Amino acid sequence: MELRPERAEEARGGERISLLLRLRAQMKQQLLEYKSMIDANEEKTPEQDMQEKQMETKIESLENEIEDVKTAFDIKNLVLSRMQLSSALKNNLENTATESSELMDDLNDILKLNKLIMTSQQESRELEKKLLDVRKKRLQLKQASGRKLLEIQTEKNKQKEELDSVENSDKIKTMQHNLQMEMQTTTVVQHVFQNLILGSKVNWAEDPALKETVLQLEKIVTMI
Amino acid sequence: MSVLRPMDKLPDLNKATVLLVSTEDALLQQLADSMLKEDCASELRVHLTKSLPLPSSVARPRIDLIVFVITLHSRYSFQNVEESLHHVDSNFFLGKVCFLVTGAGRDSHCSVHRNTVAKLAHTYRSPLLFCDLEVESFRATVAQRLVRMLQICAGHVPGVSGLNLLSLMRSPSPPPEEL
Repeated sequence: MELRPERAEEARGGERISLLLRLRAQMKQQLLEYKSMIDANEEKTPEQDMQEKQMETKIESLENEIEDVKTAFDIKNLVLSRMQLSSALKNNLENTATESSELMDDLNDILKLNKLIMTSQQESRELEKKLLDVRKKRLQLKQASGRKLLEIQTEKNKQKEELDSVENSDKIKTMQHNLQMEMQTTTVVQHVFQNLILGSKVNWAEDPALKETVLQLEKIVTMI
Repeated sequence: MSVLRPMDKLPDLNKATVLLVSTEDALLQQLADSMLKEDCASELRVHLTKSLPLPSSVARPRIDLIVFVITLHSRYSFQNVEESLHHVDSNFFLGKVCFLVTGAGRDSHCSVHRNTVAKLAHTYRSPLLFCDLEVESFRATVAQRLVRMLQICAGHVPGVSGLNLLSLMRSPSPPPEEL
Protein backbone atom coordinates (compact mmCIF):
# COMPACT_ATOMS: atom_id res chain seq x y z
CA MET A 1 0.00 0.00 0.00
CA GLU A 2 2.92 2.35 0.59
CA LEU A 3 4.52 1.50 -2.73
CA ARG A 4 1.52 2.43 -4.82
CA PRO A 5 1.47 6.19 -4.25
CA GLU A 6 5.20 6.24 -5.00
CA ARG A 7 4.59 4.47 -8.28
CA ALA A 8 1.74 6.86 -9.05
CA GLU A 9 4.07 9.79 -8.33
CA GLU A 10 6.73 8.29 -10.55
CA ALA A 11 4.19 7.78 -13.31
CA ARG A 12 3.02 11.37 -12.99
CA GLY A 13 6.62 12.60 -12.99
CA GLY A 14 7.27 10.56 -16.10
CA GLU A 15 4.18 12.03 -17.71
CA ARG A 16 5.28 15.53 -16.84
CA ILE A 17 8.69 14.91 -18.37
CA SER A 18 7.15 13.56 -21.56
CA LEU A 19 4.78 16.54 -21.67
CA LEU A 20 7.70 18.93 -21.27
CA LEU A 21 9.62 17.19 -24.01
CA ARG A 22 6.64 17.31 -26.29
CA LEU A 23 6.13 20.99 -25.56
CA ARG A 24 9.79 21.61 -26.29
CA ALA A 25 9.49 19.90 -29.67
CA GLN A 26 6.32 21.86 -30.44
CA MET A 27 7.91 25.16 -29.57
CA LYS A 28 10.93 24.37 -31.71
CA GLN A 29 8.74 23.57 -34.67
CA GLN A 30 6.56 26.65 -34.20
CA LEU A 31 9.64 28.86 -33.83
CA LEU A 32 10.95 27.43 -37.08
CA GLU A 33 7.68 28.22 -38.82
CA TYR A 34 7.63 31.81 -37.57
CA LYS A 35 11.26 32.32 -38.55
CA SER A 36 10.60 31.05 -42.04
CA MET A 37 7.62 33.37 -42.38
CA ILE A 38 9.76 36.32 -41.35
CA ASP A 39 12.44 35.35 -43.85
CA ALA A 40 9.86 34.96 -46.57
CA ASN A 41 8.36 38.36 -45.91
CA GLU A 42 11.63 40.27 -46.10
CA GLU A 43 11.19 42.34 -49.21
CA LYS A 44 14.03 44.12 -50.89
CA THR A 45 12.73 47.52 -51.86
CA PRO A 46 13.49 48.06 -55.53
CA GLU A 47 15.34 51.20 -56.55
CA GLN A 48 13.04 53.82 -57.90
CA ASP A 49 14.91 54.55 -61.10
CA MET A 50 15.34 51.06 -62.41
CA GLN A 51 14.92 50.95 -66.12
CA GLU A 52 12.43 48.71 -67.84
CA LYS A 53 15.09 46.50 -69.33
CA GLN A 54 16.71 45.90 -65.98
CA MET A 55 13.36 45.01 -64.50
CA GLU A 56 12.66 42.62 -67.32
CA THR A 57 15.98 40.88 -66.89
CA LYS A 58 15.42 40.69 -63.16
CA ILE A 59 11.97 39.19 -63.72
CA GLU A 60 13.46 36.66 -66.10
CA SER A 61 16.14 35.65 -63.64
CA LEU A 62 13.56 35.26 -60.89
CA GLU A 63 11.38 33.15 -63.15
CA ASN A 64 14.38 30.99 -63.98
CA GLU A 65 15.02 30.56 -60.28
CA ILE A 66 11.43 29.45 -59.77
CA GLU A 67 11.70 26.97 -62.63
CA ASP A 68 14.95 25.55 -61.22
CA VAL A 69 13.41 25.14 -57.80
CA LYS A 70 10.36 23.48 -59.33
CA THR A 71 12.39 20.96 -61.30
CA ALA A 72 14.61 20.22 -58.31
CA PHE A 73 11.51 19.67 -56.22
CA ASP A 74 9.96 17.35 -58.79
CA ILE A 75 13.15 15.34 -59.01
CA LYS A 76 13.25 15.04 -55.25
CA ASN A 77 9.64 13.85 -55.25
CA LEU A 78 10.51 11.22 -57.82
CA VAL A 79 13.46 10.08 -55.75
CA LEU A 80 11.28 9.90 -52.66
CA SER A 81 8.61 7.81 -54.36
CA ARG A 82 11.29 5.55 -55.80
CA MET A 83 12.72 5.04 -52.33
CA GLN A 84 9.27 4.27 -50.98
CA LEU A 85 8.67 1.79 -53.76
CA SER A 86 11.96 0.02 -53.21
CA SER A 87 11.43 -0.23 -49.46
CA ALA A 88 7.94 -1.63 -50.03
CA LEU A 89 9.38 -4.15 -52.49
CA LYS A 90 12.07 -5.10 -49.99
CA ASN A 91 9.50 -5.66 -47.28
CA ASN A 92 7.39 -7.70 -49.64
CA LEU A 93 10.32 -9.85 -50.65
CA GLU A 94 11.35 -10.39 -47.06
CA ASN A 95 7.90 -11.62 -46.21
CA THR A 96 7.33 -13.92 -49.17
CA ALA A 97 10.77 -15.26 -49.94
CA THR A 98 10.26 -18.40 -52.01
CA GLU A 99 7.00 -17.76 -53.80
CA SER A 100 7.91 -14.54 -55.55
CA SER A 101 9.90 -16.02 -58.40
CA GLU A 102 8.30 -13.65 -60.88
CA LEU A 103 9.43 -10.71 -58.82
CA MET A 104 12.94 -12.11 -58.66
CA ASP A 105 12.97 -12.61 -62.44
CA ASP A 106 11.81 -9.05 -62.95
CA LEU A 107 14.43 -7.73 -60.55
CA ASN A 108 17.16 -9.70 -62.28
CA ASP A 109 16.03 -8.38 -65.66
CA ILE A 110 16.07 -4.89 -64.24
CA LEU A 111 19.61 -5.38 -62.93
CA LYS A 112 20.84 -6.72 -66.28
CA LEU A 113 19.27 -3.86 -68.18
CA ASN A 114 20.72 -1.33 -65.76
CA LYS A 115 24.20 -2.80 -66.23
CA LEU A 116 23.74 -2.70 -69.99
CA ILE A 117 22.59 0.90 -69.77
CA MET A 118 25.60 1.84 -67.69
CA THR A 119 28.11 0.20 -70.03
CA SER A 120 26.54 1.69 -73.13
CA GLN A 121 26.44 5.12 -71.48
CA GLN A 122 30.11 4.76 -70.61
CA GLU A 123 30.94 3.81 -74.20
CA SER A 124 28.96 6.70 -75.60
CA ARG A 125 30.72 9.06 -73.21
CA GLU A 126 34.14 7.82 -74.36
CA LEU A 127 33.16 8.20 -78.00
CA GLU A 128 31.96 11.70 -77.34
CA LYS A 129 35.26 12.48 -75.67
CA LYS A 130 37.18 11.23 -78.69
CA LEU A 131 34.98 13.26 -81.00
CA LEU A 132 35.60 16.31 -78.87
CA ASP A 133 39.37 15.75 -78.99
CA VAL A 134 39.33 15.39 -82.76
CA ARG A 135 37.29 18.55 -83.10
CA LYS A 136 39.68 20.42 -80.84
CA LYS A 137 42.64 19.30 -82.93
CA ARG A 138 40.91 20.39 -86.10
CA LEU A 139 40.20 23.77 -84.60
CA GLN A 140 43.81 24.13 -83.54
CA LEU A 141 45.05 23.21 -87.02
CA LYS A 142 42.67 25.69 -88.60
CA GLN A 143 43.87 28.41 -86.33
CA ALA A 144 47.52 27.57 -87.05
CA SER A 145 46.93 27.60 -90.83
CA GLY A 146 45.10 30.88 -90.50
CA ARG A 147 48.04 32.39 -88.69
CA LYS A 148 50.50 31.11 -91.28
CA LEU A 149 48.47 32.57 -94.14
CA LEU A 150 48.36 35.86 -92.32
CA GLU A 151 52.14 35.80 -91.94
CA ILE A 152 52.59 35.03 -95.64
CA GLN A 153 50.32 37.91 -96.53
CA THR A 154 52.17 40.36 -94.31
CA GLU A 155 55.48 39.27 -95.76
CA LYS A 156 54.19 39.78 -99.31
CA ASN A 157 52.87 43.20 -98.42
CA LYS A 158 56.21 44.12 -96.88
CA GLN A 159 58.07 43.05 -99.99
CA LYS A 160 55.70 45.01 -102.19
CA GLU A 161 56.16 48.09 -100.06
CA GLU A 162 59.91 47.76 -100.16
CA LEU A 163 59.81 47.39 -103.89
CA ASP A 164 57.63 50.43 -104.30
CA SER A 165 59.80 52.47 -101.99
CA VAL A 166 62.87 51.38 -103.79
CA GLU A 167 61.33 52.25 -107.10
CA ASN A 168 60.18 55.63 -105.99
CA SER A 169 63.39 56.65 -104.22
CA ASP A 170 65.31 59.66 -105.45
CA LYS A 171 68.52 57.85 -106.32
CA ILE A 172 66.76 55.82 -108.92
CA LYS A 173 65.16 58.94 -110.30
CA THR A 174 68.46 60.70 -110.72
CA MET A 175 69.95 57.55 -112.21
CA GLN A 176 67.09 57.32 -114.67
CA HIS A 177 67.58 60.98 -115.57
CA ASN A 178 71.27 60.44 -116.14
CA LEU A 179 70.53 57.39 -118.25
CA GLN A 180 68.19 59.45 -120.39
CA MET A 181 70.80 62.14 -120.86
CA GLU A 182 73.45 59.59 -121.84
CA MET A 183 71.10 57.96 -124.30
CA GLN A 184 70.35 61.28 -125.90
CA THR A 185 74.02 62.19 -126.21
CA THR A 186 74.82 58.79 -127.76
CA THR A 187 72.04 59.20 -130.32
CA VAL A 188 73.31 62.68 -131.11
CA VAL A 189 76.87 61.34 -131.48
CA GLN A 190 75.59 58.50 -133.69
CA HIS A 191 73.76 60.94 -135.93
CA VAL A 192 76.86 63.12 -136.14
CA PHE A 193 79.07 60.21 -137.20
CA GLN A 194 76.49 58.99 -139.69
CA ASN A 195 76.25 62.38 -141.30
CA LEU A 196 80.02 62.70 -141.30
CA ILE A 197 80.43 59.44 -143.19
CA LEU A 198 77.55 60.15 -145.59
CA GLY A 199 78.63 63.74 -146.07
CA SER A 200 82.17 62.69 -147.00
CA LYS A 201 80.68 60.85 -150.00
CA VAL A 202 82.79 57.76 -149.37
CA ASN A 203 81.54 54.48 -150.70
CA TRP A 204 81.08 52.75 -147.41
CA ALA A 205 79.60 49.56 -148.91
CA GLU A 206 82.99 48.42 -150.23
CA ASP A 207 85.01 48.58 -147.04
CA PRO A 208 83.74 45.89 -144.62
CA ALA A 209 84.98 47.68 -141.49
CA LEU A 210 83.29 50.94 -142.54
CA LYS A 211 80.14 48.96 -143.49
CA GLU A 212 80.05 47.45 -139.99
CA THR A 213 80.39 50.85 -138.34
CA VAL A 214 77.58 52.37 -140.42
CA LEU A 215 75.26 49.46 -139.68
CA GLN A 216 76.11 49.69 -136.02
CA LEU A 217 75.28 53.38 -136.04
CA GLU A 218 71.85 52.51 -137.36
CA LYS A 219 70.99 50.71 -134.19
CA ILE A 220 68.68 52.93 -132.29
CA VAL A 221 69.51 53.08 -128.69
CA THR A 222 66.36 52.32 -126.70
CA MET A 223 65.53 51.98 -123.10
CA ILE A 224 66.54 48.74 -121.50
CA MET B 1 -10.49 42.24 -38.35
CA SER B 2 -11.99 41.28 -41.61
CA VAL B 3 -9.20 39.10 -42.91
CA LEU B 4 -7.96 36.00 -41.17
CA ARG B 5 -4.21 35.95 -40.87
CA PRO B 6 -2.36 32.82 -39.92
CA MET B 7 0.48 34.06 -37.78
CA ASP B 8 -0.72 37.23 -36.10
CA LYS B 9 -1.14 35.59 -32.70
CA LEU B 10 1.20 33.50 -30.61
CA PRO B 11 0.30 29.83 -30.33
CA ASP B 12 -0.98 28.35 -27.10
CA LEU B 13 1.02 25.57 -25.55
CA ASN B 14 -0.11 22.12 -26.61
CA LYS B 15 -3.34 23.45 -28.10
CA ALA B 16 -4.45 23.23 -31.70
CA THR B 17 -7.44 25.07 -33.15
CA VAL B 18 -9.37 24.18 -36.26
CA LEU B 19 -12.05 26.29 -37.91
CA LEU B 20 -14.79 24.48 -39.79
CA VAL B 21 -16.69 26.62 -42.27
CA SER B 22 -19.88 25.41 -43.85
CA THR B 23 -23.55 26.21 -44.27
CA GLU B 24 -24.58 22.74 -43.12
CA ASP B 25 -24.71 23.00 -39.35
CA ALA B 26 -25.70 19.43 -38.59
CA LEU B 27 -22.86 17.93 -40.60
CA LEU B 28 -20.39 20.30 -39.01
CA GLN B 29 -21.55 19.38 -35.53
CA GLN B 30 -21.20 15.69 -36.25
CA LEU B 31 -17.74 16.20 -37.77
CA ALA B 32 -16.67 18.26 -34.77
CA ASP B 33 -17.83 15.53 -32.40
CA SER B 34 -15.92 12.87 -34.36
CA MET B 35 -12.78 14.97 -34.32
CA LEU B 36 -12.99 15.58 -30.60
CA LYS B 37 -13.42 11.87 -30.01
CA GLU B 38 -10.10 11.20 -31.68
CA ASP B 39 -7.15 10.21 -29.54
CA CYS B 40 -4.71 13.07 -29.72
CA ALA B 41 -1.78 14.12 -27.58
CA SER B 42 -2.50 17.82 -27.95
CA GLU B 43 -5.63 19.58 -26.86
CA LEU B 44 -8.05 20.16 -29.68
CA ARG B 45 -10.31 23.12 -30.11
CA VAL B 46 -12.94 23.12 -32.81
CA HIS B 47 -14.62 26.33 -33.95
CA LEU B 48 -17.69 26.19 -36.14
CA THR B 49 -18.96 28.98 -38.30
CA LYS B 50 -21.32 29.46 -41.20
CA SER B 51 -19.24 31.94 -43.15
CA LEU B 52 -16.35 34.37 -42.94
CA PRO B 53 -15.68 37.10 -41.90
CA LEU B 54 -15.76 36.14 -38.27
CA PRO B 55 -17.13 38.67 -35.81
CA SER B 56 -14.24 40.50 -34.24
CA SER B 57 -15.87 40.88 -30.87
CA VAL B 58 -14.85 37.43 -29.66
CA ALA B 59 -11.31 36.77 -28.44
CA ARG B 60 -10.21 33.61 -30.15
CA PRO B 61 -6.96 31.70 -30.26
CA ARG B 62 -4.70 31.38 -33.27
CA ILE B 63 -6.36 29.31 -35.96
CA ASP B 64 -4.10 26.55 -37.27
CA LEU B 65 -6.26 24.93 -39.92
CA ILE B 66 -9.36 26.02 -41.84
CA VAL B 67 -11.56 23.34 -43.34
CA PHE B 68 -14.15 24.49 -45.87
CA VAL B 69 -16.92 21.91 -46.09
CA ILE B 70 -18.88 21.96 -49.35
CA THR B 71 -21.84 19.76 -50.03
CA LEU B 72 -22.48 18.89 -53.62
CA HIS B 73 -26.22 18.94 -53.05
CA SER B 74 -26.50 22.68 -52.65
CA ARG B 75 -25.06 25.43 -54.83
CA TYR B 76 -25.47 27.84 -51.94
CA SER B 77 -22.80 26.13 -49.85
CA PHE B 78 -20.36 26.40 -52.74
CA GLN B 79 -21.07 30.10 -53.27
CA ASN B 80 -20.84 30.73 -49.55
CA VAL B 81 -17.42 29.14 -49.40
CA GLU B 82 -16.30 31.09 -52.46
CA GLU B 83 -17.25 34.34 -50.81
CA SER B 84 -15.67 33.37 -47.50
CA LEU B 85 -12.40 32.67 -49.27
CA HIS B 86 -12.00 36.39 -49.91
CA HIS B 87 -11.64 36.98 -46.19
CA VAL B 88 -8.72 34.65 -45.75
CA ASP B 89 -5.19 35.99 -45.98
CA SER B 90 -3.06 34.50 -48.74
CA ASN B 91 -0.50 33.18 -46.27
CA PHE B 92 -3.11 30.73 -45.06
CA PHE B 93 -3.04 28.89 -48.35
CA LEU B 94 0.49 27.65 -47.66
CA GLY B 95 -0.86 24.43 -46.22
CA LYS B 96 -3.32 25.63 -43.62
CA VAL B 97 -6.49 25.38 -45.71
CA CYS B 98 -8.29 22.23 -46.72
CA PHE B 99 -11.42 21.65 -48.78
CA LEU B 100 -13.79 18.84 -47.78
CA VAL B 101 -16.52 17.73 -50.16
CA THR B 102 -19.47 15.67 -49.05
CA GLY B 103 -22.50 14.26 -50.76
CA ALA B 104 -20.81 12.86 -53.81
CA GLY B 105 -22.39 9.48 -53.29
CA ARG B 106 -25.93 10.39 -54.34
CA ASP B 107 -25.40 11.56 -57.88
CA SER B 108 -29.05 12.46 -58.49
CA HIS B 109 -29.04 15.13 -55.79
CA CYS B 110 -25.83 16.78 -56.93
CA SER B 111 -26.27 20.28 -58.25
CA VAL B 112 -22.61 21.22 -58.08
CA HIS B 113 -20.26 19.29 -60.30
CA ARG B 114 -17.18 17.64 -58.83
CA ASN B 115 -14.95 19.39 -61.31
CA THR B 116 -16.09 22.80 -60.14
CA VAL B 117 -14.87 22.10 -56.65
CA ALA B 118 -11.75 20.46 -58.01
CA LYS B 119 -11.02 23.61 -60.00
CA LEU B 120 -11.56 25.73 -56.91
CA ALA B 121 -9.16 23.59 -54.90
CA HIS B 122 -6.63 23.78 -57.72
CA THR B 123 -6.90 27.56 -57.96
CA TYR B 124 -6.18 27.91 -54.27
CA ARG B 125 -3.54 25.16 -54.37
CA SER B 126 -5.08 23.40 -51.39
CA PRO B 127 -5.82 19.73 -50.84
CA LEU B 128 -9.26 18.41 -51.61
CA LEU B 129 -10.80 15.59 -49.59
CA PHE B 130 -13.91 13.66 -50.47
CA CYS B 131 -16.05 12.11 -47.75
CA ASP B 132 -19.61 11.15 -47.10
CA LEU B 133 -20.10 12.83 -43.74
CA GLU B 134 -23.37 11.09 -43.04
CA VAL B 135 -21.84 7.64 -42.70
CA GLU B 136 -20.30 7.13 -39.28
CA SER B 137 -17.21 5.12 -40.30
CA PHE B 138 -16.23 7.46 -43.16
CA ARG B 139 -16.70 10.42 -40.89
CA ALA B 140 -14.44 8.86 -38.28
CA THR B 141 -11.74 8.23 -40.91
CA VAL B 142 -11.81 11.75 -42.24
CA ALA B 143 -11.85 13.09 -38.68
CA GLN B 144 -8.70 11.12 -37.98
CA ARG B 145 -7.06 12.56 -41.10
CA LEU B 146 -8.11 16.08 -40.20
CA VAL B 147 -6.78 15.73 -36.66
CA ARG B 148 -3.43 14.59 -38.01
CA MET B 149 -3.34 17.50 -40.46
CA LEU B 150 -4.27 19.86 -37.65
CA GLN B 151 -1.42 18.62 -35.49
CA ILE B 152 1.03 19.16 -38.32
CA CYS B 153 -0.30 22.63 -39.15
CA ALA B 154 -0.14 23.67 -35.50
CA GLY B 155 3.51 22.71 -35.39
CA HIS B 156 3.07 19.83 -32.97
CA VAL B 157 4.82 17.31 -35.18
CA PRO B 158 8.55 17.94 -35.25
CA GLY B 159 10.12 18.03 -38.67
CA VAL B 160 6.93 18.41 -40.68
CA SER B 161 5.24 21.71 -41.37
CA GLY B 162 1.99 22.55 -43.12
CA LEU B 163 3.88 23.50 -46.24
CA ASN B 164 5.68 20.15 -46.32
CA LEU B 165 2.39 18.36 -46.04
CA LEU B 166 0.91 20.49 -48.80
CA SER B 167 3.72 19.63 -51.17
CA LEU B 168 3.29 15.94 -50.42
CA MET B 169 -0.47 16.05 -50.94
CA ARG B 170 -0.32 18.10 -54.08
CA SER B 171 -1.97 16.68 -57.19
CA PRO B 172 0.31 17.10 -60.20
CA SER B 173 -2.17 18.05 -62.90
CA PRO B 174 -5.12 20.46 -63.00
CA PRO B 175 -8.59 18.94 -63.22
CA PRO B 176 -9.84 18.27 -66.75
CA GLU B 177 -11.92 20.93 -68.47
CA GLU B 178 -15.41 19.68 -69.16
CA LEU B 179 -18.19 21.40 -71.06
